[in-house]
Amino acid sequence: MRGLLQKIRLEVQWPVAWFSLGLMLVMGLLTALLPKVLGNIHEVFNKMPLVKPLITALLGVDPGDQISSGLSQAFLWTHPTLLSLIWAHELMYCSRLPAAEVDRGTADFLLCLPVSRWKIFLAETVGWLVSGAIILCGGLVGHLIASSFVHPEMRLSQTDAFRVLINLAALYLAVGGFAFLISAFSDRRGRAIGIVFALLLLSFLLNFLAQFQDWAKSIAWLSVMEYYRPAIIIRSGEFPADDVKMLLLLTGVFWSVSLAVLRRRSICTV
Amino acid sequence: MAAIEIQELTHTYGNRRGIDRVSLTVAEGRIFGFLGPNGAGKSTTIRILMGLLRASSGTARMLGRDCWSDGVRVRRKTGYVPGDVRLYAWLNLQRGLQILSKVHGRDVTASGMEYAERFRLEPQLHARRMSRGNRQKLALVLALAPRPDLLILDEPTSGLDPLMQDTLMLCLRECARNGTTVLFSSHTLSEVEAVCDEVAMIRDGQLVENDSVSVLQQNAPRLLRLLLNIDQAVPAEWPEGCEPLILPGVECHSSAARKAQLLVPPGLRERTCILQFRGSSLGLLKWAVDRRFADVEVGPPSLESLFRGYYEAV
Repeated sequence: MRGLLQKIRLEVQWPVAWFSLGLMLVMGLLTALLPKVLGNIHEVFNKMPLVKPLITALLGVDPGDQISSGLSQAFLWTHPTLLSLIWAHELMYCSRLPAAEVDRGTADFLLCLPVSRWKIFLAETVGWLVSGAIILCGGLVGHLIASSFVHPEMRLSQTDAFRVLINLAALYLAVGGFAFLISAFSDRRGRAIGIVFALLLLSFLLNFLAQFQDWAKSIAWLSVMEYYRPAIIIRSGEFPADDVKMLLLLTGVFWSVSLAVLRRRSICTV
Repeated sequence: MAAIEIQELTHTYGNRRGIDRVSLTVAEGRIFGFLGPNGAGKSTTIRILMGLLRASSGTARMLGRDCWSDGVRVRRKTGYVPGDVRLYAWLNLQRGLQILSKVHGRDVTASGMEYAERFRLEPQLHARRMSRGNRQKLALVLALAPRPDLLILDEPTSGLDPLMQDTLMLCLRECARNGTTVLFSSHTLSEVEAVCDEVAMIRDGQLVENDSVSVLQQNAPRLLRLLLNIDQAVPAEWPEGCEPLILPGVECHSSAARKAQLLVPPGLRERTCILQFRGSSLGLLKWAVDRRFADVEVGPPSLESLFRGYYEAV
């Protein structure tokens, strides 16, 4: 296992470092700038009525005509840049085994080592969890540093930040688990990434349409964003236990099926 | 116990044929050559042995263990080089030996560095900066470093210069003397003939030949090169069992004849006859001596000629 972890570290250490730094900067900037931008949001709503439904879709709740300081922080945690960075890392990481290995021709080298496939998958899982923790912590650090420069009334309490972060981590696990699953069936990294990316976009779209269309609302449970609502967490002050449980359940199912497929599949460099 | 035992092994890629009921056995400590045209099924067989592919039916066992269900234990004692060596860009010899030592649970650095010296491989050079030949050498060193009981090599000399090919063949002989079983596939028939104890030939997914090299050599064709005297006519008849390949003034068409053309000395095309025959050369030599040719030369039995026949039949 140590040899596998060394291999994974050599491959992902720099991309993870860059993603972490990127997320730190993005979170820092958004934390510092959003309160100023959203302070005048009612003017934007008046000039561009379409903006309000977009923000409603992102937040999952109607912000009213004036976004409160708490809700502005929720906007930070659902900002497309934040989610894009996190999911870009997941698409890169979780498509490694076996799609990327087959694609670049190294599957034979890896799978002919005297280790079982489940150990290889376990090592990749450890790398995924550790890299996710590093990246999310990078984002949190950026947020906390920038928060010290924001007016106390505009800051998110640490308890709320922790609750949102747990929910975000659960979302990370569910999306990554799904990416592992698609990769387990694939021989081409591009195809695996394309499928997961397309489904994430559909998820976003469904979440958006659910604000306006009843038919979309009836199937909104299919969207991953349905289980990640920082605005509701901040407004209610409650831990999103049901959402987190659902995301963890999905993670467990996706991960288990991925492992089962990987163990039984014929895999080799084509 | 046989080191490698394959029984009625079959694998298909959807509707496409892979291999069909292949059976062979390789005894411990032998060097076994595995030949066949492109797409014949050599790599498929090797990948099943290495636990990469799951056979559709039949069994594949190495060192007494099933290659799929007990693959980890098999691979612990096996060194493998794939047909198309592609390595991680960040991999170099040092890192490769570190990773191997960790997965094997014992230090293989010393033996790895010994082999690296023999193959003239730089320990620090990363795969991204290596030529194809150097990547091949790195893969070979990493396969040999743990001193495995079994070596499975898919076209191991691909990309190697002649000196390194010789080095590899010497290494394989040493390994075999120390009890390692070697199975390697190759398109270079001469090296198979020089190194292997046994040879199997696969074609269209099926085994068509499987015997020791010495037995195959007894049945292998040989070449007889005759140099006519100036103004000597080409014989009208040839001894029984002889097949003329090259005759003065006659176009050659078969692949054996085209290859035999390389044996014709420059400037003597009009006086050179090359024949192919099997079995003892004594009667043929007597016939040649009676006709007083300017020169007579009998070549050694050539497995290459034998196997070319199988390649041509594809």
